[in-house]
Amino acid sequence: MARFRNKKKVAFVKPAKKQPQQNVDHVTGDKIPRSFVFSRLKLPATLKQLQADLRKMMLPYTALNLKEKKRNNLKDFLNVAGPMGVTHFLMLSKTGTSPYLRVARTPQGPTLTFKIQEYSLAVDIANSQLRPRVPKDLFKNSPLIVLSGFGTGEQHLKLTTIMFQNIFPAIDINTVKLSSCQRIVLLNYNKETKLIDFRHYSIRLQPVGVSRRIRKFVQSHKVPDLRSLEDVSDFITKAGYGSESEGDEEAATVSLASDVGRVNKASTKSAVKLQEIGPRMTLDLIKIEDGLCAGTVIFVISFAGNGDQKKEQEEESKASEDDMMDD
Amino acid sequence: MAEELQMQEAGHDPRKRKIGLKKGKGRKKMKVFQGSGQKVKMDGKTKKLFRKKARDYNSDDSDDDDDIDEKPVKFEKKQLQIENKEDDEKSSDEEIEDDDDNDDVGNDVSDNEDEITEHGIMKFSEGSTSFKKAFKKIVKRTGTDDVLGPVLSAYKNLVVKKLAEEATEKKVKGDAKKEKTLLREKGHVKPDAFSVSHEKLLIGVATKGVVKLFNAVNKAQSSQKGLNPLRSKDAKVIQKRRKEAFFSELGKPPSGASAGDEEGPAWAPLRDNYMLTTSKLKDWDKTADEPEATDDFGRHEDTSSEDDE
Repeated sequence: MARFRNKKKVAFVKPAKKQPQQNVDHVTGDKIPRSFVFSRLKLPATLKQLQADLRKMMLPYTALNLKEKKRNNLKDFLNVAGPMGVTHFLMLSKTGTSPYLRVARTPQGPTLTFKIQEYSLAVDIANSQLRPRVPKDLFKNSPLIVLSGFGTGEQHLKLTTIMFQNIFPAIDINTVKLSSCQRIVLLNYNKETKLIDFRHYSIRLQPVGVSRRIRKFVQSHKVPDLRSLEDVSDFITKAGYGSESEGDEEAATVSLASDVGRVNKASTKSAVKLQEIGPRMTLDLIKIEDGLCAGTVIFVISFAGNGDQKKEQEEESKASEDDMMDD
Repeated sequence: MAEELQMQEAGHDPRKRKIGLKKGKGRKKMKVFQGSGQKVKMDGKTKKLFRKKARDYNSDDSDDDDDIDEKPVKFEKKQLQIENKEDDEKSSDEEIEDDDDNDDVGNDVSDNEDEITEHGIMKFSEGSTSFKKAFKKIVKRTGTDDVLGPVLSAYKNLVVKKLAEEATEKKVKGDAKKEKTLLREKGHVKPDAFSVSHEKLLIGVATKGVVKLFNAVNKAQSSQKGLNPLRSKDAKVIQKRRKEAFFSELGKPPSGASAGDEEGPAWAPLRDNYMLTTSKLKDWDKTADEPEATDDFGRHEDTSSEDDE
């Protein structure tokens, strides 16, 4: 008996054409900075998750599925980085005391070593929120970066700002589309504790001046309950209670240049609302080296007890950096 | 029939055996020579002996303790060689009878290391009750003991020791594991309710930055709204606007207080640190690149300078 093969007819699906990533930013002409996030040693589970969170944050210009073997060392990564146009390395490592994050610029750029005092994973933060929000195109564009508190003029802080500004691709205010600015990375330097707070938020725009009910109706498309009302005008004009966050919205109101999504029309007032996603870290800058994890040490924090020694070191470092600048 | 019975009940038939005189369990007795009816001489000792024998037939009562005062005799039988048995247990199993009457001796009692041996009289004819006594004693003891029983107490001690060892091992391992996990998770902080105020502060800072950026974008883009970059006339206007913006940003000193300013001049040349990273240009503020809308930028060493403060 002939057996019939179960031929499933599949509709012909044209594979989506993947846009090759641009190497050069059209606007600025600089190369778009790409990054590798990897770990130097074997990491425990939570740090591995932190590494994954950092990778997600650096999207789209990073290798999301970077696989590293135990025997890969820094040279291997350097060799691969060249042809692929990778400009920055973010390296996580862990010693007995605490995890460390090294931010370095290839091929021979400076290396900043941060000690991670505290960290929280993205899942922890999502669990702590009532309504975690992840719109689906959140990671299609690279984040904005905001640095605050770094302006004290100290050399090592300046270098830190430069480094972080260059990690993320620049945006041109003349041509940028507001709908593509969806994420923001905040680095806040605290002068007293000398710690850097690292946060990652998602941006949301909400039209302001509209009553809560109408806004919710428009956004969620749920048919409202009009049983108790006699007229539709009641629904529209009814004074609803204001949420407590509306007071904060006053300061955060912007008038948009273009339409963002469906609800925020151009030249209407909208409020900027941020919700935290992604990892949260508290960093402590401890070392800056000249080379890629090698080279002369430009800046080192010395621990308590030798205040004079620290000043000396800083002066030295300043001197050496000035020399470098003049070259 | 009735007559026969009567006859049987009434008297003894001298020829026949004594009927109805079957004692105890009705075992067969050794055939005793009936004798001629003469009286047997009963000493005090033999009387005692017989009485004792009679008592044994009712040995369901625990009369074992009565025999303690008698000297212990060790059984030859291996079944009763229990390791840690006390002496008195073994002692009372046997029955010591007077040495005088040796009729029923059927067994020699052999020496044993720790006990006094004596010649005991074993009543093989009736079976030995000593084993029964021993067994009863054991059974009585096991009622109070735990699972392993009294017999295997050395094994029990071993087991107890092993359990104690395991418990300590587990404890040590558990502590080590706890330390390990603590070390691994060092620094990992779950967001709790206490840090909310600090987070609110940070969100405020970030919001300010975003607001600044959006306002800048707004300013820049709304002015361009009517202009089409392809039309040459408009292109010039755009250029002019950009130059103004560029120089205004340049003129602004790097201020630390303003939150989002580092983000404001997002276009590379607008950033204060444009050429600093390369460290190739000395006098970066003297030269300026002419921005053009469509050209590709490389880094020019020789640039046309247009000084405009």
